[in-house]
Amino acid sequence: MTGLAPIDAWAIAAILAKALEYGTALLALGGPLFIVTFREAHKDVLRVARSIAIAAAFLCVALIALRFGIRSARISGMGMDGMTDTMMLGLIWESPLGSAAVLRGLGTLLVLAIALGGNVASLIALIGSVLIAVSYTQVGHSLSDPRWLLVGLLSVHLLTAGFWIAALAPLHQAARLEFAGILLHRFGVVASGTVPALVIVGLTFAWLMTGSVNGLFSTAYGWTLLTKMIFFSGLLSLAALNKLKLVPTLENGDEHAASKLRRSIKIEGFFVLLILISTATLTSVTTPPVNL
Amino acid sequence: MRLKSTAIAALLLLPTSVFGHSKAEQTTPGNNTTVETVEMIEIRFDDPMRVTAISLKGPNGDVAIVRETGLDPVTEFRATPESAMGAGVYQFDWRGLAADGHPMQGSFSFTVAE
Repeated sequence: MTGLAPIDAWAIAAILAKALEYGTALLALGGPLFIVTFREAHKDVLRVARSIAIAAAFLCVALIALRFGIRSARISGMGMDGMTDTMMLGLIWESPLGSAAVLRGLGTLLVLAIALGGNVASLIALIGSVLIAVSYTQVGHSLSDPRWLLVGLLSVHLLTAGFWIAALAPLHQAARLEFAGILLHRFGVVASGTVPALVIVGLTFAWLMTGSVNGLFSTAYGWTLLTKMIFFSGLLSLAALNKLKLVPTLENGDEHAASKLRRSIKIEGFFVLLILISTATLTSVTTPPVNL
Repeated sequence: MRLKSTAIAALLLLPTSVFGHSKAEQTTPGNNTTVETVEMIEIRFDDPMRVTAISLKGPNGDVAIVRETGLDPVTEFRATPESAMGAGVYQFDWRGLAADGHPMQGSFSFTVAE
């Protein structure tokens, strides 16, 4: 298949580690965004958001280190021994991954300020969120031209993605509380303002990377993207179920709606995981059609 | 909830960061070609590549090769066999780090005629 790199055990390890890092980074950067946006939410909801952001920040740093090791193993061709090869690790440190790791690590450190509470701490954590997002613009295709357009698109893309993903667990928590509908309604209001922007950003990226409809069906990149679309369809179907059935029944006081909504959010989380793995595959072993 | 899910889906479905990695354009000897002798093994990349590991396997196992190019990023990588290569099928494998930080690898084969 066109544009598909060799896939061995280390490539698979790299994909899984990257997917997990994506997830933790998005949770870490999205936590402060959620907390600041919904600072009036129930304390249990905010506690879940805060706890997950902190845990994700620590895990993200560990995964950055693991990815360094995996990359070192891959470029050295020495297997496990290559993971700790100082020369290879040094080369990776000098590569764009090194500068990205510094920014990402600093960002996760600042995100930890969310544990302190208060406006200043929140501001520091938000700066951390931005740094984490920007760190992903230091590697890969974002380094291409038009550089600043790509940086802007990707940063917005990640900040908004993190915001939504980090909202899943707090909303799952909220669904068991009284007046859950209020938070869900507010969330919908915020989302209605950001979704159009997200779609525009995403479509712009899709166009820049794919370049043509033919590229979708003739390349590994295209087929991986189509695989993601299947997961996307699943997520959308679930979203439709929530919107048309579960949320209205929750607002009407149906006692079973909350548990159904919680289950639905869990399944959404599963779809998110699948999408993250697809994304990691897309960015690890495939080449965009425009680069072929 | 629908909007939230739609947003997540829209964000995650569409491409995020992808890698514009350099790739091997041409090799000497060419892939799947037959040659009389091999004085030099070359790989040409479209963008600078830091070649981090190489190996050459022949009919009698690993073949010793000497890098002429160091670990700095290059668009033309060169290595030479330590001694004359006998007849048979050879495979050259390489690994490297592209300019955008992406790990790359590749291989090509050639035959040395009797």
